[in-house]
Formats: sequence, structure tokens, C-alpha cells
Amino acid sequence: GGAMSFLKRFPPPAEGVRHQQPDTEAVLAGRTLGAGTLYIAESRLSWLENSGVGFSLDYPTISLHAVSRDLNAYPWEHLYVMVNAKFEEEETKEAPMAEGEEEEDSDDDVEPIAEFRFVPSDKSALEAMFSAMCECQALHPDPDDEDSDNDYEGEEYDVEAHELEQGDIPSFYTYEEGLSHLTAEGQATLERLEGMLAQSVSSQYNMAGVRTEDSIREFEDGMEVDIAPVVAGQFEDAEVDH
Amino acid sequence: MEVSHSVKERTIAENSLVILLQGLRGHVTTVDLRDESTATGRVTNVDAFMNVRLAEVTFTDRQGTVSRLDELFVTGRNVRYVHIPDEVDIRATIEQQLQAIHRVRYFGGRDKGRKEFPRAKHK
Repeated sequence: GGAMSFLKRFPPPAEGVRHQQPDTEAVLAGRTLGAGTLYIAESRLSWLENSGVGFSLDYPTISLHAVSRDLNAYPWEHLYVMVNAKFEEEETKEAPMAEGEEEEDSDDDVEPIAEFRFVPSDKSALEAMFSAMCECQALHPDPDDEDSDNDYEGEEYDVEAHELEQGDIPSFYTYEEGLSHLTAEGQATLERLEGMLAQSVSSQYNMAGVRTEDSIREFEDGMEVDIAPVVAGQFEDAEVDH
Repeated sequence: MEVSHSVKERTIAENSLVILLQGLRGHVTTVDLRDESTATGRVTNVDAFMNVRLAEVTFTDRQGTVSRLDELFVTGRNVRYVHIPDEVDIRATIEQQLQAIHRVRYFGGRDKGRKEFPRAKHK
């Protein structure tokens, strides 16, 4: 009696296992489930006792996880996982309820919570276990999030191509930093743009972020613009006013 | 200033106040959780889904029991409030994050960052 009814036999996950930690004790609400292996996989978190039975947790049900080294709170360093679900032993409450009495565990008031602790014999693995869980958790964003504006219309498009088509010039950044990030394609684009600049009076251009109050004043002062091949660092001291 | 390597996450961040939370990296703050527990610690990371990663955490559970956690990851769904520390200039933080995103977008991050979506569906 008292066996954990939610323990099942299943094969260990084979795909997307970000971290695997053998010799790890699993504890639920203070009761040990035995020693086994923790599998932190992209699809779910699984723990299998050495005998072959275990359980899995789906990431959307996991509220939080943490590394606990506070021995005052719990005597062994462990990975703490809080789950938004109920995991109970077979014994259910059988006491009849009085008429008119409401259930204590009304889900409207109190969310079900289950606290798991995974205690690896190798404490130094806790960081890796924690990080692997963070990565896997991030793969499962909340589908019920009403605020999330994650739906975007239309096809993904190439920003630069889009802006060039409309006659705009892409946003500007300092010469050296931009140059260091350029691909061959970007380099060709840069050369083309510099050519365009060399051919016209620069005040005709509205380069995003460069046409500031300061730069306008400079041109109105009659400052000559060097229209010969563009010199490196020409725009270094332009003030970008966002 | 670190921004996400994901085009989608950058776009989400740019269009929501999560961008402010992302600017809190390095600051100590308190996160109130949905179940009324609280966690105070240094922000390591906040992603576009408002998953919050904290270090050196003082955790007070819903019963009031206090414990320390080396690292804590709370899913966005379970975050109720993130306190903005007094020393944080909100406007400046948002602007810095936007600039970081724009730098990546126009001059490339890991994926060259030039792909975007025209607009959000339900705006």
C-alpha cells in the first residue's frame, strides 16, 4: 500500500535529451521515490527509477525550477521543481462531506501544486541540470497567453530589400562597427550606397538617424561635403538622434 | 547589451513592455508570483515570453517560509508582477533595449537579423 499511483513503466527518452543525470533521487512533497535517472529532454522532463518505473512532467505544467543549496531549508543540494498539478498517492479523502460544505481544495481559490526535488549524488551537476531545464522550458511558451501578440501577418520579409525598394536607406551605424558585421552582400550594398552619396548633395538624403539638428546646421553653414571616394570614418562624429 | 538571437523574440520584445524587463538584467529586483510567493534576486535574463531567471534569490513561499535559492527560473505565466527598482530609469532602459535590437536588426546578429514580420495580426 501507499505506492505512488502515477509511476509508470516507459522507455527512457531517446530524442532531444539536453541533459541526463544518473544516480538522482526524486522526492515528492517530502517523500522519496527512490534513486534513478533524470532526463531533461526537449519534449518533457522524465525521471526513471533504476527499476524502470517513473514519471514525466510536461513543461507547460512546470511553474518554476531552481537550484537549492540552502541546507537549512532542505538538507541536500537539489533541483527544485514546482508543478501546477496534483500528484497523489492512492489514498483519497473518503470522509463524507456535510451538506452545504464546500470542498477544501476548490480549484478556484488554490491552484494545485506539487513540489519535486531531484537530488543528484553529483552536486556539481546542478548548474547543468538547471540550465538544461531553462532551455527546454523556453521551448514551451504559454499557449494560453492572451496578451501575447505572437501572430504576425504575412510572410517574413527581408527588411533591407524592402526598404531599398521604397527608396529608403537602411538605418545608419558607425562605420567601423557596421563594417565589421557586413557580409559580402552587405559590403556590396554599402559600396552602392556610398556611390549614391558621392553623386549627390548629402542634404538631399534623409538617412535615418543621421539627419539631426546638428547636421542640418552644419550644412547650412556651407560646409563642403567631400564627394570624392568616401573616406573611412566620415560619419564617425555624426550624432544619431533617436 | 544582449538581445535575443531569435527574430521572433526580438519582434515580440520590441512591441511589448517585456523590453523593459529585459533591460533589468543585472539589477536586483522582486518578482511576485501568481501563487503569491515572492522571489528577490539579481536578474540574469528575461526572455520574450517573460520567463525570468534570477540568481542569489531569497524566496518566500506562499506560506511565508523563507529560503535561499542559488538560481531560479520562473515561467512567464506564473509571474504576476516584476518590481522595477528605484534606481532604474524606465525610459532610458527601454530606449537602450530598442537601440540594441535595431543594431542587431540592421547589421546582423547570428542570423543577420534582416528578416521581420510586416505587422502583428491582431493589432
